[in-house]
Amino acid sequence: MKELKILLIGQPNVGKSSLLNALVGPRVVVSNYPGTTVEITQAEEIFHDVKINFLDTPGIYSISDRSEEEKVTERALFEEEIDGAIIIADATSLERSLYMVFQILEAEIPAIIALNFVEEAEKKGIKIDCEKLEKLLNIPVIPINPLTKRGVSRLVNAILKTCPESLSFARDKLRRRIKEVARRGFKIRYDDHIERAIDKISTQVKGRLPKRLVALRVLEEDEDFYKYLKNEKIIGEAKENLKEHPKIAEDISITRYGTASFIAEKVTRLFSSGKEKLAGERIDNVLLHRVWGPLTTGLFLFAIFGTLLYLGNLIQNVLMGLTDSLLSSFGAAEHSIITVVLVQGLAGLAAGVSIALPYVFLFYLLLGLLEDIGFLSRFIVNTQRFLKKLGLPGKAFIPLALCLGCTAPATRATRLLSSKKEQFHTASLFAFVPCSSRTAIVMGIVGFYGGVRLALSVFVTLFAAGLIWAFGIKRLIHVKSEPLLLELPPYRKPLLKNVFAKSWIRMKDFVYIVIPLLILGGIALGILDMLGFTNIIVKPLSPITTTWLGLPAVSIIPLIFGFLQKDLTGGMLVSVLGGEISSILTPLQIYTFGIASTVGIPCIIALGMLIKEFGFKRAMGLTITSIAYGILFAGLLRRIILFF
Amino acid sequence: MTKEGDILKIVREDILRTLGEEETEEVSVDSIKSDINVSDPFISKAIKQLNGEGLIKYHNNFISLTERGKENARDIVKKHRILENYVKETKNGRDAHKVAHILEHYVSKEVIDNIKKLSTLKSAGVPLTELECNGKGIITDIVFSDYGVFERMVSMGIFLGERIRITNEISDSIVVKIGNKKIALNKDIAENIRIYKNERT
Repeated sequence: MKELKILLIGQPNVGKSSLLNALVGPRVVVSNYPGTTVEITQAEEIFHDVKINFLDTPGIYSISDRSEEEKVTERALFEEEIDGAIIIADATSLERSLYMVFQILEAEIPAIIALNFVEEAEKKGIKIDCEKLEKLLNIPVIPINPLTKRGVSRLVNAILKTCPESLSFARDKLRRRIKEVARRGFKIRYDDHIERAIDKISTQVKGRLPKRLVALRVLEEDEDFYKYLKNEKIIGEAKENLKEHPKIAEDISITRYGTASFIAEKVTRLFSSGKEKLAGERIDNVLLHRVWGPLTTGLFLFAIFGTLLYLGNLIQNVLMGLTDSLLSSFGAAEHSIITVVLVQGLAGLAAGVSIALPYVFLFYLLLGLLEDIGFLSRFIVNTQRFLKKLGLPGKAFIPLALCLGCTAPATRATRLLSSKKEQFHTASLFAFVPCSSRTAIVMGIVGFYGGVRLALSVFVTLFAAGLIWAFGIKRLIHVKSEPLLLELPPYRKPLLKNVFAKSWIRMKDFVYIVIPLLILGGIALGILDMLGFTNIIVKPLSPITTTWLGLPAVSIIPLIFGFLQKDLTGGMLVSVLGGEISSILTPLQIYTFGIASTVGIPCIIALGMLIKEFGFKRAMGLTITSIAYGILFAGLLRRIILFF
Repeated sequence: MTKEGDILKIVREDILRTLGEEETEEVSVDSIKSDINVSDPFISKAIKQLNGEGLIKYHNNFISLTERGKENARDIVKKHRILENYVKETKNGRDAHKVAHILEHYVSKEVIDNIKKLSTLKSAGVPLTELECNGKGIITDIVFSDYGVFERMVSMGIFLGERIRITNEISDSIVVKIGNKKIALNKDIAENIRIYKNERT
C-alpha cells in the first residue's frame, strides 16, 4: 500500500488537534492552552487505498529554535521524510498563519492551507476569499470546521491530489516529484541585500535540504539547525555577512510578516457584522481584573482541590473496601514468599487503582476542561507574577498544577518550559506540591488521627517550606525567566470527547509506569520486611528519629521505605507502632511525621522520571537534598514549637 | 498571481521607481539590469509589459517614462519615500533604504497609510506602558536587541502599523488586543513597543 506522511502545523489553539480528531477519530489530544502537546502525536488512516500518517506538532507561531515546541516541530520537518504539510490557518487572523505558510514553502514541502474558524470570522465581520488566496499562493486552500467535519473530505482529496500520479512512482522518484510540486508554491522575494546573502551562502550548501532554506535558516541564526549542515563553513560566511548587515534576521521576519499582511489584505473583506459576542469580554473583565483575577483563580484552585478530596475520598473508600476484603482472604495464609509477593503486589495494585481513578483521572479531567474552555491561560496570567517572584516562568503553573495529581506526569510536563534550568527549578518544587499520595498521608494520618486543623497546618507548612526553598534556589542558580508573551484564546465550548482523550494521555504515564512500579515497590517492601531488613535501619538511624524529630525509632521504617511505595506509608506506620496511633503519638509527633514524610521528592517512581528528564546525578542530588531538607525542616519546626 | 507573476510585479515597480528617481530622461537597460538584482529574462519581460501598457517608451536599448508612466512612478517613489523617512526616523537611518525597499512591495495599504500618518506626527513613539487601560494606539516601532523575542512578537501579529488596544491590566502585565487576538505580556516587554496614542474611545 502507498503511504504518505503529512505534518499538521499551526499556531496554538488553531484547532490542529481537533482536525486530527476529525480526520482519524478520537485518538489524539486536543487542547485550548498554548503549548500542551510538547510531543508529536501520530495517527494513521487509510483513504482510497493510501495510508496517510498524520503527525500532529505542537502549536507554534513560527519555525525556529527558540522554544521546545518549535524545536520539536523543526525536527519533524527536517528529519522525517515529509510528503506534505497541512497548515491550519485561523480565518480571524489570516496574516499570522501565513507567516508559517511561507516558511513551509521555503522548506520546499507541498503545503495545503486548512482554513479554520470561518464561521467565527464571519460573525466578527471578516470574509476570506479562498479561491483568490489559492491563486495568489498557488497552493490549495480549504475552509474547514472540525466540529461539523465540513471540508474534511475535501482536505483528504487535496492531500491525495497534491501528488496524484506520483503515487505510482518509486520512493526516490516520488521525492523529486514532491519537491517539484512544492516549488510551484508562492515564494517571498526578499530585499536585494538579503537575496545576495542567500545566493552567496546557498552556492556552498550541500545535502538534501533545499539550498535557499538552509541559507535562510543560517542567516536567521537558527542554532538548532546547524546540526543538519553538511558544510559548516557557511556559518562563518553568515557571520561575516552579519557584520555588514547586523539586522538581517529582523529584516527577514519583517518581510515575511509584511508579505503576509499584504496577501491577507488582498483576500480579506471586512464588513460590519452587527453585534460582536460580548460574553467573553465580560468573563475577562472579572478573570483578568487586577483584584478579582487572582482571587477567582485562587477560588477555582481551592474548589478543584476540595472537590477532589471529597469525591476522591468517596471513591477511594468504596475501592479500598473491595480490595481489603479481597486481601484479607489471602492474608490469613502463612508467611511464605509466594503469599508475600501476592499480597504486597495486590496491595500495590489496589493503591494504584484507588489513587488513579479518583485523584489522578478526576483531576486531569477537571484540568482538561478548564484548559479547553480557555480558563487555564487566564490562570497563568494571574499566577505568573507570584511565580516570577520565585524565579519561575508563568507556564510553570501547568506542571505544578499537574503535580497535585501525580509527580510522574508532572515531571514530563516540565518539557513545555523553554530552558533546562527552568525545567529543573520547577521540578525541584515538586518536593512541596503534595501529589495525591502525599495528600492521602496528610488526610489519612494527620487528619484522621490529629484532626482537620492539624492537617491544614501541614499543608500551610509545606507551602512555607516550598517558598523558602524556591527563594534559595533562585539565589543559587539565577534563572533568567522567560518574559510573559502569551496568547489568550477566546472562550470556547469544550468537546467532552477531546477532554477525555487528553486526560487519558496524561494518565498513561500513571497507568503504564506508576502502577507497575507501585506493585514492584510493594513486593520489594514485602520481601525486605520478611527477611527482616526493614528493622536493620531502625537503630543506626535513631538519632534522626528520636533525637532530631522526637518520634519513636521504628517510625524510620515508614519514612524511608515509604519511598518505595508512598501509599503504604500510613499503613506501615500503623503496623510498626502496633496500635492506635492517636494513643501512641502526641499531636506534635503526628504533625512532625506528616511534614517529614511529605516534603521531598516523594517516591522511587518520581525519582525514575526525574532521572529520565534530568540525568542520574541531578535527579539523585535533588531527591536526597529535598528529603534531607524535609527532615531538617520538620525537626527545626518541632524545636521552635516546643520552645514556645 | 503566481510566484513568477509576483517577481514580475516587483521588477515592474522597481523599474518605474528607478526611472522616476533618475535625473535623466532616458536610462539604459543595462544600468537597470545592474540596479535590479534579478535574472535578465524578468527584466526583459517587465520592460516588454510596461512598454505594451504604454507606461514606458523603449528605444534603442534605452527606456524612458511616458506621461502615464510618470504618474505611476510618482506614486511608487512617494510610497518609497514615506517608508524610507519613517524607517529613518525610527531606526536612526541605518539600513533605512533597505527596509523601505522590502516593505514597499508588501506592506498593505492600510499599514502604509498608518505609517504615513505616523511619520508626519511628531508625537509618535511613546512606550506602550504609557497607554491607559482601554486606550488605543498604533504600533510605530518595536525596539529589541534580542531577535528571538522580536520574531516571536512579529509572528504573533505585534507589528508596525497594527492597531493595538489595552483591554486589561494586572499587576506587572497587561492584556492587549491586536486585530481579533488577545495577548498577555509583561510590562517590561511592553516598554519596548512604541505606539502612537489615539484619542480615547
